[in-house]
Parts: sequence; structure tokens; C-alpha cells
Amino acid sequence: MNGAAGPWRRLAVTLARHAARTLPAARSPWAEAMRRELDYIADDGAALRWALGCVVASYRAGLAHRLSVSGRAVGRTLATGGVLMLVIGVMLEENAGGQTQPPRPAFDATTCDPPDRSAENHPTPRCDALSVPGADGIAPRCGCPLAPTSPDTARGR
Amino acid sequence: MPRKPNNSRQTRTLLAAFLDRSQSWRHGYDLSKETGLRSGTLYPLLMRLSEQGLLEHRWQEAERPGLPPRHVYRLTASGLALAREQELDAVAAERAGALA
Repeated sequence: MNGAAGPWRRLAVTLARHAARTLPAARSPWAEAMRRELDYIADDGAALRWALGCVVASYRAGLAHRLSVSGRAVGRTLATGGVLMLVIGVMLEENAGGQTQPPRPAFDATTCDPPDRSAENHPTPRCDALSVPGADGIAPRCGCPLAPTSPDTARGR
Repeated sequence: MPRKPNNSRQTRTLLAAFLDRSQSWRHGYDLSKETGLRSGTLYPLLMRLSEQGLLEHRWQEAERPGLPPRHVYRLTASGLALAREQELDAVAAERAGALA
């Protein structure tokens, strides 16, 4: 039939073949069914309309197939992420041990060292008394604000 | 309210066409001419009804030599039940419209 086919018939055949290629592989019998119907349509115009419909049908089926596949992929990704977040949340909850607030650093306002200096490298000086030769009173070893100052130290001796 | 499946006008037209000759195997082009559905609408409907188990299909050898085998379709028992149910619904709707 296709040997002496006119241009519209040839175009219809080309479109039907394109439709057959566009359909998902699982539906190839349907693509073949649509394509073979062309041989039973005598009128070239009707055959062309039929082939155009085949293209529309194959595009619709292909789009539905892609949407279902991508929808499943998105669903799998979301489910995996949700499970991971749940596991991380449970692990954090177990490590927290019922603690609801983060621990705060203890800071003693009476020590002489600032709180960021470690005890090993910089031993905390004690605000005890130190005898100074020639001085009447006692002088502090460090700049402890609570330590008493002697009158000599205050005068710059 | 959720829409009933297989209740579109095109699907009802196609099911009614199958019900007219429920025991016969039908061709795609004949169904298209009878229902007025274009192939772009008809074949997605046929595929969906087949996936739902409402339609059976097979290849039929050509009656004339030189032509390829043809895909033919027929409603299954559940497809026939659905078509009859939709026909009864349509009759009931017509009567309700006439009384109103």
C-alpha cells in the first residue's frame, strides 16, 4: 500500500512511526496497534488525522509515564531524608540525657585570672599576703581588686 | 466530593459503544468512527480500561491478504458490569430530568 502512497499517506506513516517510538516500551503493542490501523484507512486525509491522533496519544502516555517515574523518585528521596532526620533526632535526644539547656561556663569573679586562661599554663595567683622589706604593711602579689593596698604602694614607692 | 472513575463523557460513550455489541471484537478505527472519538483520545482510554481489567485485547489475523494483523478489543465481565451500571445511571438521570 505504501509503494504508491501520496505525500499525505507518507506523512501519516512517518507520524505513526514516530508515535510508536515515543510510547514507553511497556506499551509497544498499543503503538503497533495504532500504527497498523493506518493500513485499514483508505482515505489519505483520514489516515493523516488518525496518525496525528496517534502522536497525541503517545505523547500523553509518555508524559504520564515520566510523571509517575519522577514522582516515585521524589517520593523515595523524601522518605529517605525523613527517616535520616528521624534517626538523627533520636540520637541527639539520647545524647542530651534530659538536658534542656546548654551548659554555661562557671566563672568566679573573685579570681585574678581572666576565665580564658588555662590553669596548667597560668597558675592562678593567690591573693594572699606578701611581706615587703621596709614596708609597714602588706602588699598584694597581684592586682586583686579585693586585696588591701598599703599606703607605701599607693604613694609609688 | 471525589469524582467517580471512568465517568467522563468520552469513557461513557466508549463503554456504550462496546455494550451495543458486547460479544464482538472491535477495531480501533471502527470504534473511532462510531463514537466520534479521535485516536488521540480513544487509545489512552483503551489503554486505561485495559490496565484496569475492564477490557481485553488480542491480535486478529487480517481477512484480506497483504494486510497486517489488527488489534481488537472487547469488554471483560467487569467491564460489561460497569457499562451496564453506567447505562442504568444514564437512564435514571434522564428520567429524573424529565420529571423535574
